[in-house]
Amino acid sequence: MPGRFGRGLLTTLFGAFVLFLYGPTLTIMVLSFQGPDGGLTFPMNGVSLHWFGRLFEQQAVGDFGASVTRSLILAALVTAATVVISLSAGMAFRRRFTGSALLFYLTISSLILPSILVGLGIGLSFNQAELEPSWWGSALGAQLTWTLPFGLLIMLAVFNRFDHAWEEAARDLGATSWQSFAHVVLPIVAPSVIGIALFGFTLSFDEFARTLLTAGTDNTLPLEILGMTTTVTTPVLYALGSMSTLLSFLVIGLALLGLLRYRARA
Amino acid sequence: MKDQSLPGRTSLTRRGALALAGAAVGSGAVTGFPTIWAQNIRNITLRQAGTGVSGLNAIAEQCKKDTGITLQLTVMDTDALAQRAATQPRSFDIADIEYMTTKKVYPVGTMQAIERRRITHADKIVPIFTTGRLTPASAIAQGTAPHTVGFVANRLATAFEPSQTEWMTLIPTIYNADTLGIRPDLINRPITNWKDLVDPAFRGKASIVNVPNIGIMDAAMVMESAGQAPYADKGNMTRAEIDRTTAFLIDLKRQGHFRAFWKTFDESVNLMASGEVIIQSMWSPAVAAVRSRGIACTYQPLAEGYRAWGGGLGIARHVSGLQLDAAYEYLNWYLSGWTGAYLNRQGYYSAVLETAKAQMSPAEWDFWMEGKPAATDILAPDGRVMERAGAVRDGGSFTERMGKVACWNSVMNEERYMVQKWNEFIAA
Amino acid sequence: MRGTVVSWLLAAPLALVLAVFLVVPLVVLVAVSFYDYDSFRLIPDFVFTNYIEVFGSPVTWRTYAKTFWFAGITWAITLMLGFWIAYYLAFVVEGTGRRTLLFLLCTIPFWTSNLIRMIAWVPFLGRNGLLNQALLGAGVIDQPLEFLLFSDFAVVLAFVHLYTLFMVVPIFNTMMRIDRQLIEAAVDAGADFWRVLRHVIIPLCKPGIAIGSIFVIVLVMGDFVTVRLMSGGQSASVGLMISNQISLLQYPAAAANAVVLLAVVLLMVAAILRAIDIRKEL
Repeated sequence: MPGRFGRGLLTTLFGAFVLFLYGPTLTIMVLSFQGPDGGLTFPMNGVSLHWFGRLFEQQAVGDFGASVTRSLILAALVTAATVVISLSAGMAFRRRFTGSALLFYLTISSLILPSILVGLGIGLSFNQAELEPSWWGSALGAQLTWTLPFGLLIMLAVFNRFDHAWEEAARDLGATSWQSFAHVVLPIVAPSVIGIALFGFTLSFDEFARTLLTAGTDNTLPLEILGMTTTVTTPVLYALGSMSTLLSFLVIGLALLGLLRYRARA
Repeated sequence: MKDQSLPGRTSLTRRGALALAGAAVGSGAVTGFPTIWAQNIRNITLRQAGTGVSGLNAIAEQCKKDTGITLQLTVMDTDALAQRAATQPRSFDIADIEYMTTKKVYPVGTMQAIERRRITHADKIVPIFTTGRLTPASAIAQGTAPHTVGFVANRLATAFEPSQTEWMTLIPTIYNADTLGIRPDLINRPITNWKDLVDPAFRGKASIVNVPNIGIMDAAMVMESAGQAPYADKGNMTRAEIDRTTAFLIDLKRQGHFRAFWKTFDESVNLMASGEVIIQSMWSPAVAAVRSRGIACTYQPLAEGYRAWGGGLGIARHVSGLQLDAAYEYLNWYLSGWTGAYLNRQGYYSAVLETAKAQMSPAEWDFWMEGKPAATDILAPDGRVMERAGAVRDGGSFTERMGKVACWNSVMNEERYMVQKWNEFIAA
Repeated sequence: MRGTVVSWLLAAPLALVLAVFLVVPLVVLVAVSFYDYDSFRLIPDFVFTNYIEVFGSPVTWRTYAKTFWFAGITWAITLMLGFWIAYYLAFVVEGTGRRTLLFLLCTIPFWTSNLIRMIAWVPFLGRNGLLNQALLGAGVIDQPLEFLLFSDFAVVLAFVHLYTLFMVVPIFNTMMRIDRQLIEAAVDAGADFWRVLRHVIIPLCKPGIAIGSIFVIVLVMGDFVTVRLMSGGQSASVGLMISNQISLLQYPAAAANAVVLLAVVLLMVAAILRAIDIRKEL
């Protein structure tokens, strides 16, 4: 284990990394307080809360409320599906089966194929089948081709170092497959499952290249923002960024508080 | 695997026949113009796909108020719009697209032509879109001039007709002329020609459009201006001309002349406002957007003229019956003045000037269209002061601007080759 | 045989999703890559022109070289950075709660749309940006640094920003699975920090490193947004080349390029897996 100096060094590195991650976020935060005549770049043209107010009014182009709602629902669906499907596939991959190599490389291909082409292909196939593309149908599938490889690979890394002895012990004690899964396997891989959920949500919420040609009539949030950049944009975009960061902190803070309370009571 | 990327042909024909029947029934109901604002049209929703340039919520609101039709707008970037129009016609009813895009998309057969006689103000449309000439005396500009892709032989035809017919591919709605935008506070010499873009003094501070078929025309404008051999048609170059132009661009790139290339409206504004770039090809409303942030920016008329673009509304092939009637109703409403005035006030131009004029104050009309000093303060659509009284619009009047179009945004016959060369330029 | 059936059932949902949303589009793609086309039409056909153009053009080679270059540099930086961040989270930070919290802290910036973040790089790294202002103010420089934005530096910086976490997560996961007693045993046997690292931790982290590397390399190889925005459209990448073709509806050329890209990257992944078999102990 690293000594005191090593720990200090690593803590500094981590701190610097976080600062780096927040570089654009900080810029967004600062510029979201632009004056009413300010733009998306420096110099600041006054300081105001104007753009936070504008966030809740009707925009000249596009609609934040509707697209954020769609994106949140879609991200939730994608997250749930990703967790279940990759967990199940991860279990399957613990032993070799006929076609496992093919399925593995197919999953990797899913990651490699340029996103716009996956979207284009799905869009074309839907059109051919006379199906209407929609954000909750074709776009959901398109996003899964993006999140599932991540989910599966993370599951593989976990199960790779998974000790079969625990399950065998459970089975020796008379547990059914399901019981040994629910009471032995799941608790052990739970942190990774949370990781996959986090990945799934983040990837879906921000996905745009695969969604672009599969979302049908209604836009998700990233598509709406892309559409907005085709005309005059304002610091309202930054206000949106600041708000979502703030809300994330708030939600996580509340969850943490709840957790602490729960622990204190337990 | 036949015809994978295009909508199934058989299904389209079937759909087409149904739509045709619907249109026949529908048009019977609306003979007798001007249209009765039919009660049942009020419940109709039209889904419109377009870019943020004209996919404005204010237009949808006014449309609902005036016609009762619900306009459901979806905004996307130009590339995505072309893909959707060509491959997913089911996802929209109305396409709000550029004429340049039409040249590629219309032949795919996802749209239906618009019957001229059902458009109330068809005769008042600016002649740029019908004959290609602003006045009978003016010349037709190079490139994909809108009138060359504006007409087809019948409702389902997909081949363009060289002259006016009764069937229009798009109803023109919005157009403009682009030129160089400059930061006069950071450039202290007069800019008069396209060749000034490549003045070594601006090394590392210049930009052009990062859309292959448009960027290459910007470069061609510069080269002609710099005294190199003129192009037969800058919007339809030969392979030799493409080679020459990309070689020129590669040379400039190697010298580090360009700071960045812009692709979206917003990028062009941010590059200019942040001072990363001080001279670049630009849209008139983008210049206005920079200026509205208190930063000096000029839309600079140049001796060689402008590079222009135009857009319009087209109807998806699947639209039929009552919905088709509603679509016509909407198109007629679009040209009836309110929208025209709204677009003119943002620095774009509307297709039927007469009706737009009726909706603008004389001071507004004089400022935006006649190039006269503003008699009163000029307000933006959101009520903010855009220009103070006494200001004069850069580039002057409508006739001065649109009368000096050198070429239109284009799709070249040698496009396949051109993209290869453009990729070579980017990789250099 | 019962085991195989169970495996199939467990893998079925994944196979189904991929069959509908990947295999079908992929088949379409491969078919289209043999089509002919001109400026206005796709012509169903079986020609090799698109592939001949891909392989015959020096632009392709140059673009691939540039893309490999981006991928290589990004991989090296994210690996170094990602490994130590993962190490910090796994071995220095204690408690699941605290680790989760720090992971969340790292994730939050990514819940702001990437398009907005990308716009924000201009006022962060630009001539008049925050960073240049800070450096000027501190007296470190007396001229704004131009290479910070619209350069290869900016592209790599953005890649590192976007993808380091993709390296951190799998490495962290494998680190967490290392039996702590193993490390203690090594320390008791007199191994110092570096020896433990070399002989215990790194070998046991290999699957995580492999998966993280696959993530990063694959993401960079297929990127088309970051390269365009951060280089100001002045650097090439394979993804960008494809997206230029798509934007002009030249699907056959784009499809042929994509098939080649797919083959190249699959070979890279196979090479990584040959070096480190992540399914060895499954």
